[in-house]
Amino acid sequence: MANKSLLSILTLLAVLLLVAACTGLQSRSALPARHPSAAELTVSPKVCTNCHERGTELAYERYVHTADFGKNHRPEATQGEAVCAMCHQTSFCNDCHATRVELKPSLKNQAETYRSAPHRGDYLSRHRIDAKVDPTSCFRCHGNPKATQTCARCHG
Amino acid sequence: MRISTWSRAGVLAFILLLGVLPAYSFSTEVSFKADTILRIFERDTASEKDVAVLPGYEYLQLDAGQLEDYGLSFHLYGWGRADFADHNYYEDQTAGELLYGYLEYSREENRCNLRLGRQYIFEGVANEAIDGLRLSGDLGDYFALSLYGGQPVGLDSTNGRSGDSIYGGRLAHHLGTDYEIGVSYKLIENDSDTAEEMLGVDFSAFLPADLSLFGSSTYNRQTEDWAEHSYELRIPLGSVLLKPHYQHFSYQDYFSTGANAVNPFRMLAQSSEELTAYGVDALWQVDEAWTLGGKAKFFDYDQSDKAETYTLLASWQGEDLTQLGGEIGHTATDNATGNDYTLLRLYGYCDAMADNFWIDFFSADVLIAYYDKEIYGEDNSLFLSLGAGKRFLNDALTVKLSGDYSQDPYFDDDMRGMVTMSYRYDKQ
Repeated sequence: MANKSLLSILTLLAVLLLVAACTGLQSRSALPARHPSAAELTVSPKVCTNCHERGTELAYERYVHTADFGKNHRPEATQGEAVCAMCHQTSFCNDCHATRVELKPSLKNQAETYRSAPHRGDYLSRHRIDAKVDPTSCFRCHGNPKATQTCARCHG
Repeated sequence: MRISTWSRAGVLAFILLLGVLPAYSFSTEVSFKADTILRIFERDTASEKDVAVLPGYEYLQLDAGQLEDYGLSFHLYGWGRADFADHNYYEDQTAGELLYGYLEYSREENRCNLRLGRQYIFEGVANEAIDGLRLSGDLGDYFALSLYGGQPVGLDSTNGRSGDSIYGGRLAHHLGTDYEIGVSYKLIENDSDTAEEMLGVDFSAFLPADLSLFGSSTYNRQTEDWAEHSYELRIPLGSVLLKPHYQHFSYQDYFSTGANAVNPFRMLAQSSEELTAYGVDALWQVDEAWTLGGKAKFFDYDQSDKAETYTLLASWQGEDLTQLGGEIGHTATDNATGNDYTLLRLYGYCDAMADNFWIDFFSADVLIAYYDKEIYGEDNSLFLSLGAGKRFLNDALTVKLSGDYSQDPYFDDDMRGMVTMSYRYDKQ
């Protein structure tokens, strides 16, 4: 109980500190709210280093959308959500990451074959093998009561 | 801290902050997007065989306010579904979900950001949808802080929402673009019982010779042990990028989520299995269009036998979204109860075809899988998908027609059709 009270006080102090910071403190150079879209640019915005010098305001090289960026962007997203948000709205992320949906990602955007949508094709068969090899990857998206409803039909 | 306290503190902080905002002229931009999807396929139900299923989906997205600059804005996204055939394939004839709906205020000076409402939190140990408040901003030049609190959306199906709460945050320290290290915390309560309490450390470091190192570790406060360690090194060698990686999971600590536990993961939480996964990804950017790559990943278990996966991939990037590619992969398990499979995928997407064809874009996808041991009497599966679309009204309306065919262990000959109409309206 004492731990919880202390945590509550620390949380409230942190909230106040953050509010004070938002109204007063200055910080490092800010990024723009939105990045120009592909239509506004003459080069692909997928390769940040085409326009931006490495190691200036941002470590631009880590955000370059290589061929496997769609399948491997966890470090960037956990640390740089604000950078992702300059180009992508949450609905874009939800195409793959929303688990409170009925249509699996590869069905909702079936024709967009250039996107590395998970569970494409006969994943019902393959998941029997993949889930034994590495169940931790299933848990990231399907690990709470709401998100596991797609599993519940067979797994209870 | 109970949710009511959190809600009051959140709303109070939001009002306080709005009260000290500098006066500014408020311009309203509106962006609206509607995706209407109609699908058709056949399925067996409890009482009938091969009945038609005709679900219609509507995805709606609305963004309003200062969308292109810092300021005040509102964002909403959700979906609904009705089964027009009504043959009891779905548990409920209609379904739907609000994925997010929040008010956002952001300002440039210190990257201050506030969100109030249903939203996704993805930072540090958090990968959650919440109904609540999130505050974030820079604390001077070297630190950034984010805090959130509210109710977890993922628990609204278990005994209602009373006693459900979530709060946490992430404190980050960064030195320019040299490194960033973050400490994060998350506590979820389900029906007043602790469901998850996680602590995490994440870091990125940019080293000499363009090397970069990324990593994160997660500590389960309930089981009092480490749940996960994940590290990745990126080594650029000219046009080749090597990414060796290492992961370690303790099932007891990773899957143990207390009152939040769900099948099929509940049993894994009771096992004392430990998984160590390591491997390397190699990507060769041959030129602006071609990328070749290979991946190898090895899985070592404390109790089970080993497993490994190998993948070779190639892709060609053309104008706009045009892309051709393929990959072949093999997953092998030493476990006697496991199975091996080889997967081949070839795909293509041709954009901007209107100069020569009536349609604007065309897509194709082929997946072939071979299983070492039969699954329901079948040792292979074939999946084909074709799609085409055209844009109208200065690209505001897109109509797509797509269909797929599958022959696999679960379906002899399964065909599914889909029509998608996407309409977008933007007002500056």
